[in-house]
Amino acid sequence: MQCSFVIPGDVVGSAEEFVTGDGTYLKGRSIRSLTTGITEIDQKNRSANVVSKANILPELSVGDVVVGQITNMRDKMAIVALAFKKGYESRPIPRTEALIYVSNIRNTYVKDINQLFGPRDIVKAKIIKEHPLDLSTKDEDLGVIKAYCSRCATALRLVDGKLECPDCGNVETRKLSTDYGLGMIR
Amino acid sequence: MDEKLSFFKDGIRLDGRRPGELRPVKIEAGVLKRADGSCYIEMGGNKVIAAVYGPREVHPRHLQKVSRAIVRYRYNMASFSVEERKRPGPDRRSHEVSKVSREALEPVILTHYFPRSVIDIFVEILQADAGTRTAGINAASVALADAGVPMKCLVSSCAAGKVDGQIILDPMKDEDNFGEGDMPLAMTPDGEVTLLQADGRFTVEETREALETARKGCEQIYEIQKKALIDRYSRLEEPEEEGSNV
Repeated sequence: MQCSFVIPGDVVGSAEEFVTGDGTYLKGRSIRSLTTGITEIDQKNRSANVVSKANILPELSVGDVVVGQITNMRDKMAIVALAFKKGYESRPIPRTEALIYVSNIRNTYVKDINQLFGPRDIVKAKIIKEHPLDLSTKDEDLGVIKAYCSRCATALRLVDGKLECPDCGNVETRKLSTDYGLGMIR
Repeated sequence: MDEKLSFFKDGIRLDGRRPGELRPVKIEAGVLKRADGSCYIEMGGNKVIAAVYGPREVHPRHLQKVSRAIVRYRYNMASFSVEERKRPGPDRRSHEVSKVSREALEPVILTHYFPRSVIDIFVEILQADAGTRTAGINAASVALADAGVPMKCLVSSCAAGKVDGQIILDPMKDEDNFGEGDMPLAMTPDGEVTLLQADGRFTVEETREALETARKGCEQIYEIQKKALIDRYSRLEEPEEEGSNV
């Protein structure tokens, strides 16, 4: 199995031999690289791939932890505008939305979704399905990492396990992540 | 102007090059930490830095295209880049250079992979010595590859000129200013031309010769671009294991 370093436009293999895999395209009868990286031949399905070494836009796949903001609340779901993937904080995700269905918020029964999420909340969640993207916040470290008061929209502070509004004293509930209020993604 | 002024001395140019010789080229990829991809290039007296951001969200929103990413290219000369202070900010010339450079790079970028987003390319000319647009394209092309933007191939660019009735490769400042013509060319390694401009007068035969000369220059530059990318990623090989991409 040969591994070699390629840059965009380099020939990875021939179309008679392989099918085009990730990071490649077909030009005439040759398979060429789309990125800077290492070639990888998948012997099982006879595909030629290039694993990028460059600073690429991260792909979203099942199991990835992402951070986003809740843009819309429905009866049984919350819609999240994704901001970035954990580990790739410097590469914002361009305009992608995902769903969190009530049954994926926590392990126990949820009567009212508004008790767990609020509009504008920043959530940390895990991808459980692609196309369309579905998220889950069932784990301990997943959930709301920053919440806003539903009355006056100031950031809520976590005091003795309760979410309190420092301005109006309003107390709210959320499906909290263990990272709440830390200002960083662990 | 002194009529006896010549651009050649025993067939050698004023800076000691032969007619078909490039100025020394130095390319380094990944020089900026904040940019998604970057490149620094020196082509003779030209010193150019290129930064690539994206694909990222488009602002203002109305510019976005639903089926593909847009490419924005900003060519900017620093006020200290030329002998006489250049008035900072965009002008007629930099608008034109930005446009043609964008169109030189856009055909190799797979923009339909990223609908509703933008790929921003910033090219700053730190020091100019004729041929800054070609240096900018070379740098931007390497910076795009460094940013991991999917592209069909790199773009290499080089100019040919005409002085004393003779076609030369990669004119330097005096040859550009006092010569008879200048023809920048950008092309892919397969020989597909993405930029071709010319000023001055070229006969059909001279045009053919100039194109062939510039083509040879592009081929040499492509090898240097390739080496810069290989250097960058073989250098990263070891420390990248423990470090993250952040």
